[in-house]
Amino acid sequence: MLKLPFRRFVRFTLLAALAVPAAALAGTQAPASPPSTPLPSKIEVTDEVGRRVSVPVPVRRIVSLAPNLTETVYALGAQDRLVGVTDFCDYPPEARQKTSVGGAVNPSIEQIVALKPDLVLAQAITMNRRETVDALERLGIPVYSANSRSVDGILDSTRYIADLIGAGDASAVLLKSLRARLDDLKLRLAGRPLRRVLFVVWSDPLVSIGRQTFIADALRLAGAESIIETEQDWPRLSLEEVVRLQPEFLVFASSHSESVRTTVEDLSERSGWRSLDAIRQRRIAAISDAINRPAPRLVDALEDLARRLHPEAFADKQVPR
Amino acid sequence: MKPPTPKRLAWICGSLSAILLIVVVVSLKVGAVPISMIDLVASLGRVAIGQSDQLPSEYSLIVFDIRLPRILLGILVGAALSVAGTGFQALLRNPLADPYVLGVSSGAALGAILSLIITSRASFAMPLAAFAGALATIAGVYFLGRRGGQIDTHTLLLAGIISASFLSAVIMFLMTTLSGGELRGIAFWLMGDLTSTKTPVGLGWLFTVLLVAIGAIYSTAADLNLLLSGEQEAMHLGVDVPRVKLVVYVSASLLTGLAVSVSGAIGYVGLLVPHVMRLLFGSDHRLLIPATALGGAIAIVVADTLARTIVSPTELPVGAMTAMAGAPVFIYLLRRRLQ
Amino acid sequence: MSNATLNTNAASTARSPAPAELRLSVEQASYSYAAADRPAPLFTLEATSLHARRQELVAIVGPNASGKSTLLRLISGALHPLSGRVQLDGFEVGKLDPRTRARRIAVVQQESPLLFPVRVDEFVLQGRHPYSQALRFETAEDLAIAEQSLAQVGAAHLRGRWMHRISGGEKQKVVLARALAQQPLLLLLDEPTLHLDIGAQVELLQQLRSLAQSHGYTIVVVTHELNLAAEFADQVALLHRGKCLRSGTPADVYRRDLLEQVFGAALEVETRPSGRPHVTPLARREDLPL
Repeated sequence: MLKLPFRRFVRFTLLAALAVPAAALAGTQAPASPPSTPLPSKIEVTDEVGRRVSVPVPVRRIVSLAPNLTETVYALGAQDRLVGVTDFCDYPPEARQKTSVGGAVNPSIEQIVALKPDLVLAQAITMNRRETVDALERLGIPVYSANSRSVDGILDSTRYIADLIGAGDASAVLLKSLRARLDDLKLRLAGRPLRRVLFVVWSDPLVSIGRQTFIADALRLAGAESIIETEQDWPRLSLEEVVRLQPEFLVFASSHSESVRTTVEDLSERSGWRSLDAIRQRRIAAISDAINRPAPRLVDALEDLARRLHPEAFADKQVPR
Repeated sequence: MKPPTPKRLAWICGSLSAILLIVVVVSLKVGAVPISMIDLVASLGRVAIGQSDQLPSEYSLIVFDIRLPRILLGILVGAALSVAGTGFQALLRNPLADPYVLGVSSGAALGAILSLIITSRASFAMPLAAFAGALATIAGVYFLGRRGGQIDTHTLLLAGIISASFLSAVIMFLMTTLSGGELRGIAFWLMGDLTSTKTPVGLGWLFTVLLVAIGAIYSTAADLNLLLSGEQEAMHLGVDVPRVKLVVYVSASLLTGLAVSVSGAIGYVGLLVPHVMRLLFGSDHRLLIPATALGGAIAIVVADTLARTIVSPTELPVGAMTAMAGAPVFIYLLRRRLQ
Repeated sequence: MSNATLNTNAASTARSPAPAELRLSVEQASYSYAAADRPAPLFTLEATSLHARRQELVAIVGPNASGKSTLLRLISGALHPLSGRVQLDGFEVGKLDPRTRARRIAVVQQESPLLFPVRVDEFVLQGRHPYSQALRFETAEDLAIAEQSLAQVGAAHLRGRWMHRISGGEKQKVVLARALAQQPLLLLLDEPTLHLDIGAQVELLQQLRSLAQSHGYTIVVVTHELNLAAEFADQVALLHRGKCLRSGTPADVYRRDLLEQVFGAALEVETRPSGRPHVTPLARREDLPL
């Protein structure tokens, strides 16, 4: 009976007709480089998750896949070379004018490719997915992944990125200033006991931060320590445990201080939360959500937090801004 | 109504294939980056005559390295899930059966998560680990679902449902211990995601397995028609019931494992495409199986195209699209039945 | 026909015709099983023998749970006998593969509900499944045979109708038509008269008789209806609690004392002019004082 094999053959051909061009093309595809410019020279670096990346020199077109990296690029004065950002890149406000490639978790690979970037900046673990980075690499687009686990790490990251994109001078100035501020802070807080705080990422369910996050490190530099010690990055906590530990302060990070106030009002009426001294006595530190972004602006929020937790250490200083 | 003939089969396959082709071309054309029809046809033409290295590079990249593999994967997954759904609906004699009811997708997801925890390097290990998880679940549920040495439909269904629940619970437990970033990746995968780029060799392998499994189920198509009348009756009419049940179970589960390993658990397709095809072409499995394969491919490619264009440049997960479209279709089918 | 004791073993040797004419041969076949969800005692069908020729219509009668259906399933090959064997034209029924078996034996059972709606002609066409070739599409010949089968049972007019929309009696005919489409040697029917009125019952049995004659079928019918069996069957096997108490012609088997013992009711058996017996239930025994 010929019919059975024939039918299969037809369908196989149909599929082969679609599959073969893909196979052929993928086989012949060379690492992509923008066709209009002559082949640039490259440098090999190892990024912050251990990948070897081949970055062209100079870098003329940058795509940032995370809000903190966008901020960093602006802070380094390289925003003219920034050709693509995510929907969530909102600081500085001008960043919103840039072409968007979608969300951080699910950007459009096509759009990124169409922007012909020399370098894509990604933030490992907290922001971008490994699949995205893999997909871009497979298409021959260099991706540098930053990975920030501490405030020092953030500063180092800023410097590495600056070196990559040729903004070394700007970064030197910036970092010098930031380090000076951090040193000043260290002096002021020397000898003072760390305030025991709970950093509230989310109140319902109650989520805080783990030991290895950069936020935890920032807290330490601000003269505080999280009452929670865990390896998990975003641990869900039981309220009972928090009540037992009775933190001195609750720290909220938000872009609007008003919303923190209402949240606290709501929480103060709920059982469990009510039993927290910090709630009852309104020992709340509401700081900017810059603390959530591993970018230079974090230092501002850090200082702000230090000021609220240890006001006596800043008695001689006028409140800036 | 006349009984199905090879001619009718050819007609159905032909027209659905034509629709699929159109959908594929449109899908290649649209996206976050607009590509004109002329450029597309020129690109396809150049490839056909073997001049692929002369294509404008960003177009070739976008069309052939990003969109085409994704579309091919969509065809694979759509066909696999739909035929698996048809198979399970016949095997379990239940129109509400979908490819995930017997726990295969939960097993695959568990495999993927375990590989993530152990190796913490997603890319290559995950689909393989997922497939291994699927295979383990298939074997486990099979042994639990046997009675007197052969598959007993009721026991199988129970075994499958319990396995699915148990595995899901384990997954949930593990997910709370994963750190944030990995979690996000898994959640995306669990919802259904076609962006994991496969090499052409990988695709070739996958399609081969797909065709073999669909072929195996198709060989039992006439038997399945009779099986729906009842196992005793089918046996008296010459169906080797234990053998047919085993073949359908293994093939449909393999198809499900395949689909879930490469793209996560895309919902609704395996449940609804068979019903829609039944409405259009009748319940005879000799026509239904090829029809659902092609219909499923069309459905997924359309859903994926919409997923990446509706809120461009952000990309929705395919599973979200199928769920959004699936619910109204389900309601429509339900109301039709009641008439 | 001698009136010698037609007990199980004796019947098989005394009555069995020459092997060449024999179509169905059940020899000392037994079976037993336990209900899975109850710690109940095993049900056992004890060694039973039965023989039938071409064009013969055999009736299996007996009270509920006497093993009638089990015996039928042994004959159909759905169950394998624990001892003894069942042969059709010399081939052991249990050893045939399902396809071959379906070409020789057709079973009409009380059907299970249909999952998806199906038309009458599609339904009858299912009977051609054992003959399907490689691609398994039906040929023109298959279609013709299916049509013919429908006509044979007098249901040709039901062709385009949906199975779930026809009456019980009509459904019965269609199911029979499907069995005929299998072109079997042996036709087995399990309680086909259950939902039929007496007119339909008679019509069915007459049809079976004439089909047996015209097509050479051997037909085995499990039935409750003693008189129907008596009227139409060439042979009757009387089962009681898993034992075949007697088999032979209706006249041989329908003995008052035997029937009363088996059915536990006051009965009267008379012989009609045709030679066939007739059983009448009594309100009370007439030969006893009030």
